[in-house]
This record gives sequence, structure tokens and C-alpha cells, in this order.
Amino acid sequence: MSLASFLAKKIVSSILTILAILTLVFFLVRLTGDPFAELENDPRITPETLQALRRLYGMDKSVVEQYISYVHNMLIGEMGYSVKFSKPVFDAIMERLPYTLALLVPSITLSNYLAYKIGVEMGYRRGSRLDIITLALSNFLRATPYFWLAIIFLYVFSVQLGLFPLYGAISPGLSFPSFEWFVDYLWHYAIPFLVLVVRGTFIFVLYVRNSVIDILGEDYVAVARAKGLPEKAVKSSYVARNAMLPMITVMGLRYAFIIDGAILTETVFSYPGTGRLVFEAIINRDFWLLQGVMVILSISVVLANLIVDLLYALLDPRVRSQR
Amino acid sequence: MTMRAVFGVRETIGIVFSSASARIGLAILLVLVLIALLADLIAPYNPGERVSQALMPPSEKHILGTDDLGRDIFSQLIHSTRLSLLIGFISALAATLIGTVIGLLAGYYGGKLDEALMRITDLWLAFPNLLFTILLVVLFAPQVGNRIVPIVVAIALGSWPTAARLIRSAVISLKQSQYIESARALGASNARIIFKHILPNTSSLIIIEVITLMGNAMLTEASLSFLGLGDPRAMSWGMMLHYALARNAIYLGMWWWFIPPGLMISLAVLAVILIGVGLEEYFNPRLRRRL
Repeated sequence: MSLASFLAKKIVSSILTILAILTLVFFLVRLTGDPFAELENDPRITPETLQALRRLYGMDKSVVEQYISYVHNMLIGEMGYSVKFSKPVFDAIMERLPYTLALLVPSITLSNYLAYKIGVEMGYRRGSRLDIITLALSNFLRATPYFWLAIIFLYVFSVQLGLFPLYGAISPGLSFPSFEWFVDYLWHYAIPFLVLVVRGTFIFVLYVRNSVIDILGEDYVAVARAKGLPEKAVKSSYVARNAMLPMITVMGLRYAFIIDGAILTETVFSYPGTGRLVFEAIINRDFWLLQGVMVILSISVVLANLIVDLLYALLDPRVRSQR
Repeated sequence: MTMRAVFGVRETIGIVFSSASARIGLAILLVLVLIALLADLIAPYNPGERVSQALMPPSEKHILGTDDLGRDIFSQLIHSTRLSLLIGFISALAATLIGTVIGLLAGYYGGKLDEALMRITDLWLAFPNLLFTILLVVLFAPQVGNRIVPIVVAIALGSWPTAARLIRSAVISLKQSQYIESARALGASNARIIFKHILPNTSSLIIIEVITLMGNAMLTEASLSFLGLGDPRAMSWGMMLHYALARNAIYLGMWWWFIPPGLMISLAVLAVILIGVGLEEYFNPRLRRRL
């Protein structure tokens, strides 16, 4: 199969997944009940107003009609109005999304890179001091709650040492496109970023290490060594390259779970990102906001997975012929 | 995967004891279980009662100080062991049960049923776990009243897919083995084959899965409670951290309030991970360390 038809196939399946997720979100959010139920007991709101509101939001139509207009509206970015934030859902999301993306994309990239470099060394030097210490740290951090690690970092660097701010993403009163704004942003950015990088690196490093150990037991490594290839070449072009594949798989699998980490990290640092937004949408039962955030998140996860699949196909020619 | 399926319960326990890391894990877990059982004897005060001035630093009377309501933090820490372990264990058990039923059905009957069940499993796996659990808890747990059962159910519903996949692949490989074929040739019913021949042979996997899921379940419970979704009438380590953050313990530098609960969570989850590592080393001998 050529790369182009592989690509086409993946894109079609991504679109189908997005549609499936849209459907799932539609029903899941409708489980939260009638968004206007609370208004029924409000003396200021007459039954006529309530009816008008329901008609305005299409709640008086059948589920099938609602579903069709929902899919249509989602695809054109018409996501309704957030009651909690008193603004269109799409605007509320777009205000927060950049903060989360700017935090997550670089930290994930860096922690993957570090995990890869350290993991290969660990696997190669199994039983060495580097291996044992990293292994112990990694198991400990796997057991540590995300938010607690963030609390410790906040306490040490911001409270004790006073080097970084206590909360938020930006100091109030700074206008956006200015040098001061950017410096202030980075100052707030440092600790959450550090937490994410440390945590990510030590989580991923185990996968790399274990796959390196598996690969070192493979016949093709023995053959490469028997051929008399220098160990450096064996390491870089046989072991390290193949260790990249399982790591990319894990990356793809874990991508959806990033939002879980974002909810907790943003809570600790009072960071105005998407994680906090989705949590606020849930606890305030902000119907349209929840629906909108879930749709945007799902689409970004599907896109990320598409990128992972493409990376995989580029790195491993077997994948292209298999599927 | 084929090999994994053929260990019995007693053998699995033997394997756990043969690994050093698993023994350490078991020892920690045992101590925590004892603390949970003897909480009333160990804790010097009633964890919900005002026993001193508010926000006191550590002293001889209150080794971890008191919270904003004058309650003894050390006693809260001891009593929290109960709920954290209990929720972790029961939700892991429930998740494994759901996963085992789905994995058995999918693996044994195959075909369309398998395809449908695995589609659902994959979709479930792709959905952010904590987000899903938060959604369920907010939707279905009552504001006042018992929130513990809804939390357990939500965690279980969020974490069964890995168990389903694991059991399914074991069942598929078992199904092709000769003794199952012989049993079928002898006219054994599906139910008999499943309960007499397949299920007992997956017991080691089921144990491993309960252990693995228990670590995750404890972390999820801690996260939910930390976000303020726990049962306010009970105490858990996550809830202690929630109150510590909400009452500005971090900004006030009251490390005795927010460090111990996190350490306890880490210790409990670490114990479970160590047991898991021990089992993994056994089943994947390449990982066994040659020192």
C-alpha cells in the first residue's frame, strides 16, 4: 500500500471516529437532564419565556431533529451559549485553549525526547547506577498523584524559594502583545511546565527502557553484532530506532489522557486553561459549554492520533503494507 | 500471552513471594491494611471532632498539627487509610469483574459479538478516564447523602476496558487448546467449558488485573476527592489535600498538612506497583535484572 492510500484510509477513519464521538457526546450530555429545569422554579421567568427559550435552543423538537441540527452546528463551530461565562461557547473555549496547548505541546515533546534518550541508556546499561536510580524514581512518580507533585513544586519553588508566582497564567493589568506580557507569561509558565516535563519523562522512560531490553534480546541484534558492526552502530541504527516505535504507540494512547492531567495541574496552579474549563462546565452543569469542550477535545485527540499514525507509517514501512 | 494464561491461584501467590519487589510491596500493603483496621486504636483523636485551636503547627499533642476547624490532622491521616484502600480495592474488583465478563463473552463466542464488544472497549479506552469518572460522579452522585457507592461505580465503569482486553486474548488462546476441544467433543456445554475450564485458567490474570487496577483506582479516587467531589462525611487522603489547598495551606507553608497525605497515597500505590512489577518480572523473564 502506498503512503497516499494509507493516508486516505486513516483520514476517512478519523472522520468516522469524530462522527462517532459527536454522537456519544450528544447522548452523554443529554443525560445531564434538562438545561432549563432550574429556571422552572424561578418566579421571574414565566412559562411563556421558558417555552420561548426551549424553542430558541431547539429543545422542543424531536431527538432526531435535535441530533441533526447539533451535528450541523458543531461542524460550523456554532456551539451555543455558555450560561456560566455569559459568552458564546466557541469564544469561551478559544480564550482558554491557547494556554493549555502552549503548556502541553512543548512539555510533552520535551519529556518524550528526554525519556527516549535516557531510556535507551538505561536499557543498554541495565543494572547500572543510572538505571537503578531512574527506575526507582520512575516507579515512585508513577505512584505519586499528579496534583500532589504539582503542590510540592509549587510549595518549594514559589512559596519557600519565592522564585515564581503562586497562581495564574498572567499578572493582572498587562496588555497582550508586549514584551512585559511575554516575560510575565514565561514566569508563570515555568513551574507548571517543569512539573509536566518531570512527570512525563519518568512515566515514558520505563516504556523505552523495557522495549530496549526486549530488542537487545532479538536475533537481528545478535546478527548485527556477529557481523562485526561496532556497538555504536548497533545502538543507534538497530536498538534506538526500533525502540522509538513502541514509544510512539504509547504516546498516541496516552494523548487522550492529557486532559486528565490538565484538569488537575490547572486546579493546583489556578491556570486558566481548558482543563479547568471542562471541569467548571461539568460542575456547573453548563450544558452547551460541556458539549462544546468535549467536541473540541475529541477532535484534537483524533487529530493527534492521526499524526501519530502518520509518524508510525513514516518510521516503520511494515505498517504501511499491513493495514 | 499464551503462557500467561496457565497459572493457577496458588502458583501466582508463590510467584509473588518469590520476587523481592513484590515482597516489599506486600509488606507495605499489609502495614496499610493493619493501619486501616486498627485506625480507632492508632489515631489519638476522633478525626471529625474539634480538639484544639485551629491551624496549630506540629506539637507533642498533635504531631501533624490541626486543620482550620481544629481537628487533629494525624488522626485524619490514619482514618483516611480506610476509605482510600477500600474504594481502591472494591472499584478494582468491580472493574475486573465487568472486564472479565465482557472479555469472556467476546473471546469465547467470537464473531459479531466479539467485534461489537471490542469496538465498545476501544471507544471506552480512548475516552479520558478521569474526565469520564468526573462526569459520572457529578451526574449521578447525590449532593447530600452517600457518595461513596457512586464513586466506586464510576471508577469501575471507567476502568474495565484493560481487563476486558487482557481476558479476551487469554480466552482466545485457551479456546484453541486441545483440552477445550476434547471437552467440547465430549459434549460439554458452553457454560461448563467457560466455568470449569476457561475461567479457572485465567485466575492468575484476574489477580494481576485487580492489582494493577487497584493502583489506578486509588489515584482516581484521590483525584476526585482532591477536586472536591468526594463524600464530605468521610475522610480520604485526596480529600485532605482538597481541604489543604482550599484553606491555603500551601501558601501558608503548612507542609505538615499537605505532604503526609500525598506520601500515603504514593506509598499505597507504590506497594501495588511493586507487586505488579514482581509479577511482570516473572512473566517476562527478559526484564529480570541481572545484577
